[in-house]
Amino acid sequence: MKKTLFVLAALLAMAGMVFASGQAQSGQAGTKQVVVKTMAYGDNSNSEGVNWVRIVKAFEKENPNIKIDYELLYDEAYHQKVAARLAAGDVPALAYMGADARWGAPWKEAKQQFDHRPYIDANYFDLNLIPPMGPNGEIFEIPLGTSNITTVLYMNEELVKSLGFSEPKTYEDLVAMVPKARAAGLDVVSLDGADGWAWGSCLMSAIIARVSGDANWVSKAVAGMYKFTDQAFVDSLSLLQKMVKDGVISDKSVLVDYGANISNFSNKKALFMVQGQWAAGSIDPAVAEKTKMLAWPKLPGEKPATAGSVAAAIQVGYGITQAGAKDPAVRDAALKFMKYFYSYEETTQRLRDGAIVAPILKNYKVPDDLPTIVKQKVGLAQKAKNTDVIDAFLGGAPNDALNAGMQKIVAGTATPADVAAEVEKLLRK
Amino acid sequence: MRGRNGRNLPAYIGMVGPATAIFLFIVAYPIVYSFWLSVTDFNPNRGGAWNFVGLEQYIKMLQDPNFWHSLKNNLIVVAVSVFGQIPIGFALAYILYRNMVRASGFFQSMVFLPNFLSTIVIGILWKRMFQADGPVARLIQIVTQNPGAQFDLMLRADTIMYPIGFALIWMYTGLYMVIFLANLQKIDTGMIEAAQIDGANEFQIFTRVIVPVLSGTILVSSILAIAGSLRGFDLIFAITTQGLQRNNAMVLPIFMYQTAFQDYNNPSRFAYGAAISNAIIIISVLLILLSNFIGKKLNAGEEY
Repeated sequence: MKKTLFVLAALLAMAGMVFASGQAQSGQAGTKQVVVKTMAYGDNSNSEGVNWVRIVKAFEKENPNIKIDYELLYDEAYHQKVAARLAAGDVPALAYMGADARWGAPWKEAKQQFDHRPYIDANYFDLNLIPPMGPNGEIFEIPLGTSNITTVLYMNEELVKSLGFSEPKTYEDLVAMVPKARAAGLDVVSLDGADGWAWGSCLMSAIIARVSGDANWVSKAVAGMYKFTDQAFVDSLSLLQKMVKDGVISDKSVLVDYGANISNFSNKKALFMVQGQWAAGSIDPAVAEKTKMLAWPKLPGEKPATAGSVAAAIQVGYGITQAGAKDPAVRDAALKFMKYFYSYEETTQRLRDGAIVAPILKNYKVPDDLPTIVKQKVGLAQKAKNTDVIDAFLGGAPNDALNAGMQKIVAGTATPADVAAEVEKLLRK
Repeated sequence: MRGRNGRNLPAYIGMVGPATAIFLFIVAYPIVYSFWLSVTDFNPNRGGAWNFVGLEQYIKMLQDPNFWHSLKNNLIVVAVSVFGQIPIGFALAYILYRNMVRASGFFQSMVFLPNFLSTIVIGILWKRMFQADGPVARLIQIVTQNPGAQFDLMLRADTIMYPIGFALIWMYTGLYMVIFLANLQKIDTGMIEAAQIDGANEFQIFTRVIVPVLSGTILVSSILAIAGSLRGFDLIFAITTQGLQRNNAMVLPIFMYQTAFQDYNNPSRFAYGAAISNAIIIISVLLILLSNFIGKKLNAGEEY
């Protein structure tokens, strides 16, 4: 008995020594190091991820007392992990986030949105370019750039001209391109229709504003001022059917995912591509030089009030969470890193990469030698009227039903009226 | 065992206690928490107050068409596993065991290879195979001489489980093949020789000697397949795109995930998700009990 107890006591003592030794070592290694737990956005194959890793390394080298302890995730994996970490109470101090129904909902629900206004350096950031995100004008994140256009029609000008056409002014101009494009084995408009969100964010957001004539139709509908069963919305959904029937959008688009869509456009398999402004940086540089970024031409049933408009949301960016702001040392370290992340050089690089429309830095001077496609983007942002992006206001099950419903409409397994009724029912439930 | 008189009780507790504590924390606590969560309206993201709602989440689940759609797909996956992967794995193992092909080591490695790959990688690989103008579509275009033909089974709820079932068989058959091969190698070859002397042909040896001997292995494999099929999430999630395809191929774990982690319109979504996950466990246990019952009826598990 005594022997057994002695052995147990000895084991416990050894275990204690091991743990104590570990703590001492970590204490010696970084006595005053502040750790900023971060959820970053990107992966090792895209410029966002590669630049993130590079920036963190450089920052930590210059600031050895700060460690950016990050988790780098992209696309769906990022959204999944945000929900899981918040539910588990493992809240990062700094995170890539937005303020809308898609990018902001989890942070809002977990009450982790933190108002940055008192901490934003007004001499560094142009506050006129950062829109209010909360009911009292709060700023919950520092956007990477100005408004995020989601409904860009990318045109391969060279390819369009080679078929004897020019920039389309009306939908009928696009329809007129179909026979020649088909004969040449090309799609007219390529869309990553296998991804449900692309139909909503990148196409339907533009159509509903054009057809209804109300730039804020979506936010008003979510607020109950309109119904998704209203004729304007049903007509907008019907237009998707028409686009496929007319051959403007290929019926196989429901089997094309994001990567394949950009690859098709980069490989000159389509005259046009529908995507957000962020995709500009992913297009093959040789094709990008010949690409024009447009708003959709005049659509059937379009109202003059929203002619030439594009849907745009507040751009996402990095923000400190309530958990991160609790500790002043962590908050200050995060703010210091953000200033580094949004530096003139990095912002310019982001602009060149095609990740943003325009910077939000004060007195920023746009370089003269920007790639053509980036200049196109700035031009589009300056001249096009902005309208609501659907998933910035409509989230959860109703948005999922809408996205899948649009795919069903195109695949011929649902009617616009059915889909509209389903969205309305789920939203008001 | 002097512990019976209580003299060594502290030592026994010292030995068993840590493992018991770890078990309770890692296994028992989540089960109890999940059950508790499912009878409340608690949302861990919001924290704060919660109310006991009884079986409300379960009633809601049973009234939800998505639950029945997911369950149907799950049962298809179970059927593919039990009646697809296991028989094919068994047949391949038998072919290798009886040296019916040359280079058996090569074939064994090739069939087992998918088990070395990440499920996500396999999912993306099959997604690429089924995409517009992808390899499968190209094959159809060549065969039908229709350059516009596409592989569109992924777009319809009534056909999407065919390509997914094919991918599931491709991925997991190797695992069952190895299990059966390992057990076949334990069989006394004298039994097979005796059957041959008695004039049994290869089919008779297989059905009258091998299958009865390995009935226990078949039962264990079936239980593994059922349990794995009902909690299977990753392959189907990776092989489908967000939206229509994933909705069409929705199985219970994906339904649970989308409910709990994505439906921000539902304030008690975590509780609802917990109810779905508990339903997965209940259905798994019922199916495993059924397998055991059938196994006992067929005398499975008999050792030779």
